[in-house]
Amino acid sequence: MRWRKKGPSGVVSAPLDTRTQDKARADGLASVRENRLRTYEPGGNVSRFLDLLEKRISRSLAVSMTACVHCGLCAESCHYFLARPDDPTMTPVWKADQIRKIFKRHVDWTGRIVPWWIKAGSLRGDEDLNRLKNIVFGSCSACRRCTYNCPMGVDTGLLVRFTRGLLTELGIVPEGVFNVSRDQWETGNQMAVSEKDYLETLEWMRDEVRTELGDDSVDIPVDRAGADILYTINPREIKFDPRSIAHAAKIFHVVGASWTLPKWGWDQTNFGLFSGDDRLGAFVARNVYEAAERLGVKRIVISECGHGYRSTRWEGYTWAGYDQRLPTESVVVTLKRYLEAGRIEVDPARNADPVTFHDSCNIARSGDLVEEPREVLGRVCSDFREMHPNRRENFCCTGGGGLLSMAEYRPLRLEAAKTKAEQLRATGAKLVCTMCHNCIDGLNDVIKHYKLPMRVVQVLELVSNALVLPGAKAK
Amino acid sequence: MPTIEVDGKMIEVNEEGFLSHPEEWTEEIARLLAKAEEGLDELTAEHWAVVKFIRGYYLEKSLAPMVRRMCQATGFPLMKIYDLFPSGPAKGACKVAGLPKPDGCV
Amino acid sequence: MSDTLRILENEVQIAALAFMAVVYTVRLAWLFRFRMGRERTFPAGREAAGAGYSLMNIAMPGAMESTRKRPGFYAQFVVFHLGVAAAIAGTFIIPYAPALFEVRPVMRAFQAVIAAAFFVGLSRLVRRLGNPVLREVSSPDDYFSLILLMLWFAAAALAVPNRPDKGEWPLILYFGLTAFFLVYVPFSKICHYLYYPFTRYYLGRALGHRGALPPKGKTGAAAGRPGESRA
Repeated sequence: MRWRKKGPSGVVSAPLDTRTQDKARADGLASVRENRLRTYEPGGNVSRFLDLLEKRISRSLAVSMTACVHCGLCAESCHYFLARPDDPTMTPVWKADQIRKIFKRHVDWTGRIVPWWIKAGSLRGDEDLNRLKNIVFGSCSACRRCTYNCPMGVDTGLLVRFTRGLLTELGIVPEGVFNVSRDQWETGNQMAVSEKDYLETLEWMRDEVRTELGDDSVDIPVDRAGADILYTINPREIKFDPRSIAHAAKIFHVVGASWTLPKWGWDQTNFGLFSGDDRLGAFVARNVYEAAERLGVKRIVISECGHGYRSTRWEGYTWAGYDQRLPTESVVVTLKRYLEAGRIEVDPARNADPVTFHDSCNIARSGDLVEEPREVLGRVCSDFREMHPNRRENFCCTGGGGLLSMAEYRPLRLEAAKTKAEQLRATGAKLVCTMCHNCIDGLNDVIKHYKLPMRVVQVLELVSNALVLPGAKAK
Repeated sequence: MPTIEVDGKMIEVNEEGFLSHPEEWTEEIARLLAKAEEGLDELTAEHWAVVKFIRGYYLEKSLAPMVRRMCQATGFPLMKIYDLFPSGPAKGACKVAGLPKPDGCV
Repeated sequence: MSDTLRILENEVQIAALAFMAVVYTVRLAWLFRFRMGRERTFPAGREAAGAGYSLMNIAMPGAMESTRKRPGFYAQFVVFHLGVAAAIAGTFIIPYAPALFEVRPVMRAFQAVIAAAFFVGLSRLVRRLGNPVLREVSSPDDYFSLILLMLWFAAAALAVPNRPDKGEWPLILYFGLTAFFLVYVPFSKICHYLYYPFTRYYLGRALGHRGALPPKGKTGAAAGRPGESRA
């Protein structure tokens, strides 16, 4: 019998840093005053946690708590464990057990009477809650790859989100999570972009596209009532890289689409997905749905973003208690439709570099789009290569679950990115295409850290590159 | 806190390579950060135009400027900013200008 | 056959089964106390198809990377649970249809499956003790359930020839342990088979609604090799 020893735990010991929370309280921010955005207060947190646990847990999560048989098959599906194979604290089963044992002790049966028999356990104080924070925020990107590999169907990815939600309610969160939540509550978008900056950036991109196409009729409409399409974007596109807005504007112009962005409710991203806060999730999603209603559009189109797609297309309707009325789709699906209908012409030779595609967790595992981006890429690239594994079995970019906003967990996530780096390297591709802004940054970090000779691109960019403008065919 | 050593000097940075103490920034540090983090062996006048604008904006408003402002102030198109700083305006230029890491999933 | 054995094979089993049925009913009532949300979005797939695919997971080792990469592990799972089925069947056959075990090949087949399951159990115990991940997460219940199950398989393999005249102890052990399990299982991880339909149904239904299951297009091994170009 081989007796293997376990190695040291990679769980990060980050203390709870409430400086920005204290400032938010001191500044009297509306979301704090109105108790929408929760802040940390010492005392009584464990009992509040247990109370929330029992009240909030859904039937499907309760059965995920009870159904685990400790078979360990999930271990090798997790990129954290694959990079640290001597560290049991990186396995989904161990991570889930940290909340499961509390459920078993306080909500379940056997655990209340003989807790040690089934390894039920409790929380002693805020230090234990902080440790739990470091595990569910710092050692997991909630990618749900483990969920897909569990013979019992235990949804560890969703259990992690659930636990995050409990901690968020108590303000026991990484500083980055609080900051972004605060910004999204206060300004309606994740990066505290002001309306002025938003509108000016759109005008700027409109001017850039006008120059590029030599056509002054190009427009990026805002709040145009009765348009067919409501286009919603990621604040990153305004704050840091508006090129994707220009790409979309160009394509919509060539197609002659009737589209608009809303003045308010343009942020399709949703930090409530990452923080586990359904209330924030509802607020942000509802902004989009109500904008669509207000403007009387026929369809909501979501720019490329993984968690934004999942939040706005799927979970947001549930959080907001809002029955879906309008088709809600990813811009990649819109592009696919245009390509199939011949409304835009493309020349794949313009994207000659070998391209591979990275499936975003929130789109492929928690959503429906797997073949659609491939069909688009097949038309606009001349050398497309699959990475392996791919589609629903692809590995997380390692930047998911909001990890990009949590600097303290970065070294661990880059270590966990080893599998992703190997996957990318094995394709021999120069470009890796993804439909998610988070994945862009996650993959960029991996590329830089592992020194891969690759660049990250989005589908919109590749389609825009390959676009053959009407009348330009003679060139 | 990790430090990076470039050309024999040690500067303290956070896990993502942003300056831990923005007030410590000097032009020399900018050069070191550019070399260590962006792989830029030297900073041209164009680089400095961007960096100095960002630094000035930050000192005045305690915020990172939007990339649009950077383009307006320097007269460079967006593509140029990416050419100068491969990691982009937030992770590249702002980092070299000694700003703390911007919030958000970036 | 002694009176003790006869009562053990009949009344005691029925009492234990009744107890288990009652506890299971209460357990399910407890589970259904937790609320379930409803979908509000247009589906991208069929919920029923997703749920069906998910429930069939037990019979599709190629569907999950974890079982696809470990076919031996999956084979062990099949043998182990066939052994469980056989051993349970035995507790009904011996008191109520003993003629079946008088057919020698049938009785030997049962013995073989149950004995194989015993050895799988042994292999799993070694794994649970030797693998640091399992050591870290396993509770006393995990070990106890496995060891006791192995004991039960051993007793069953010896009891299945059904010769009380040659010594009643294997039968007493077999039926005694069965009764014990019927009472113990609802409080242990062993009742995972009760939860399986629910976890798989809920997961499958949600993912079916979202068009994520059953997988469309190519999956698994067919989904491409590294560097495979579609130029």
